[in-house]
Amino acid sequence: MNESRPAPAPALDIALGDITRLDEVVDREALRDVCRSFFELFGLSARVFSSEGTLLADAHEEPAIHAYLRTLPRGRQLLDQSVDAVVRAHPEKRTQLSELTGAVYDVVPLVYQGRRVGRFVLGPYLPAELKEVPRALLKSDPGIDKEKVRTALASMPRVREATAEKIVAHMNGIIDLLLFSSHRAHLTSEMHVASVRESYRELAEKTAKLQAAYERLKELDRLKSNFLATVSHELRTPLTSIIGYSEMLESGIAGDLGAEQKEFVETIHAKGDQLLALITSLLDLSKLEQGAMKVEAEPVEPRAIVEDIAKTFTPAAHKKGIEVVVEVEEGLPRVMGDPIRIKQVLSNLAENAVKFTPQGGTVRFGAKAAELDDGASGLGAVLMAAPRRAIAFTVRDSGIGMPREELPRIFDAFYQVDGSSTREHGGTGLGLSIVKRLVDAHEGSIEVESFVGEGTRFVVTLPSVEGE
Amino acid sequence: MQIDFQARELTVKLVYYGPALSGKTTNLQAIHKLVTPDTAGRLMTLETRDDRTLFFDLLPLTFSSGSGIQVRFKLFTVPGQVIHNATRRLVLQGADGTAFIADSQVAETRANQQAFLNMQENLRENGLDPTSHPLVIQFNKRDLPGIRTDEEIDRLAERGSEPVFKAVAIRGVGVIETFLGLTDLTWRALEEKHSLHEKFGLDPDEFLRDVRVRLGIEGRAAE
Repeated sequence: MNESRPAPAPALDIALGDITRLDEVVDREALRDVCRSFFELFGLSARVFSSEGTLLADAHEEPAIHAYLRTLPRGRQLLDQSVDAVVRAHPEKRTQLSELTGAVYDVVPLVYQGRRVGRFVLGPYLPAELKEVPRALLKSDPGIDKEKVRTALASMPRVREATAEKIVAHMNGIIDLLLFSSHRAHLTSEMHVASVRESYRELAEKTAKLQAAYERLKELDRLKSNFLATVSHELRTPLTSIIGYSEMLESGIAGDLGAEQKEFVETIHAKGDQLLALITSLLDLSKLEQGAMKVEAEPVEPRAIVEDIAKTFTPAAHKKGIEVVVEVEEGLPRVMGDPIRIKQVLSNLAENAVKFTPQGGTVRFGAKAAELDDGASGLGAVLMAAPRRAIAFTVRDSGIGMPREELPRIFDAFYQVDGSSTREHGGTGLGLSIVKRLVDAHEGSIEVESFVGEGTRFVVTLPSVEGE
Repeated sequence: MQIDFQARELTVKLVYYGPALSGKTTNLQAIHKLVTPDTAGRLMTLETRDDRTLFFDLLPLTFSSGSGIQVRFKLFTVPGQVIHNATRRLVLQGADGTAFIADSQVAETRANQQAFLNMQENLRENGLDPTSHPLVIQFNKRDLPGIRTDEEIDRLAERGSEPVFKAVAIRGVGVIETFLGLTDLTWRALEEKHSLHEKFGLDPDEFLRDVRVRLGIEGRAAE
């Protein structure tokens, strides 16, 4: 059995649904009320005991005869003895026990679900059938006053046996009902608790299994990233030599090349560069996934960055007959981030923009003040949703655009809107996923808007230096 | 089973298991109606919603044997609805024998099977071995249309080892037979495990005959 498994429900005795202790189940106040009403109705004292002998409820008045006998030394002793015998009796069925005065007590076991759980005692009362004062009573004490005894006995309730039987049955029925409903309520609440515990135990077990599966997956993911990083690194080392030597061959260090030879070497060089770019992207991606890539945070001038990017891509754009426009707001605060990584992000977007814009189109680079809102709502929104100041960098083209339904997936690794575009336009399908991760690492956001045939606009929003 | 040597009292727990609406509570109600009041206590129904059992029903039966031993049977039902599995497992705790109440309607075949698998799983979870646990199966609702035929049930029953009973619990038909079948199996299993005959002088044959008389089965046959 699993160690972490919570202990099963405690022994609530649900197994058999039994009453273990009467006083735990039944409401004493209710029992007392029952006894009192019997006393008021029939003038009979009533007492209820648990099987352990605890007096649970009691409604009685001391009979005048008892009060009188207690004034006599010998009478007191004999009376106590006979009352004691009643209290100690545990009969199996209804039993009448008489005391010194000739009065009787009805001692009735409380049997619930086949088990004796306690008893109740009715009386003392004088059997109506008893006509004479018992001789034992009159002889009980040398100083006894017969007249006083007669007067005292006259005030004691007299009950006929047939009536007594009915009263006992009635009392028994009421207590049984009280027990039954108390027992039911008791079991119900125990079942509620036990069911909740049992359900909790079940859930805890399932959660532990899921947690273990999750840990295993996380470990696998880490292994995958490690593998990717190692392989990329190992691939890059020989590739550097291939590119280096092909470059040297191209430059004629090892002697002049024929036109065809030069063309072949140039192809080797170009494909080597392409492969290196792919491997570098993979390495970046796996580093980002492991959280191993360091993002330096320093204030960066947005205008400088945008202009730098525009300058880099202008030659390629012009070669395709594409116009490049730069629109940067005046007086912008500086951006907080890693200049190299921000440039990487914008270069990636710029490269795509130029790549997918046909001749005669326009690529616009921009930067303006914006706000970063994490979309918090509800409790404390006034605090939590307060937007941070930020700079929005835009890269907008008038290219082929993307269908709306593709937009949510373009930041996934290796995803390309049209698989065939890799062959036509090149690219690895890793660029945007790296861009997304880099932006995330800056606690920024990236949004895309695109219409087929009209063009695409990427907005990268990065936090600005606070207080600027 | 609970043995109280001091009180000379044995308590046996029997559980009525089965899919939702197969008639577990109806079985207990029928027994309650058929058995004399000095044998059966009040039928307790714990928490119902729209007449569906949420926790359990409990019917206590008491038999005093000739040898002065009080034998108490506690008959429980489980809630049949799938979502109450935690409660079912709790109720099955410490069961000495189980009656599986199946719905005879052919359309309920799958529900019967699922409940049966669930019972086996919950028996195991409670540390009870389903292969040796005293078990009887009742095919209830024999009066409905669209049921599996008697011949088919008999043929299938031959392939299993547990006693199979047919019943119309709502009319009290087959209910006592099922209970007696279960009591018989359970008592013999308990005898083997606890040597009740030796310890309490409770002869199994005598005791079971006693129970049958008290339930009016042998008495009727003798008339």
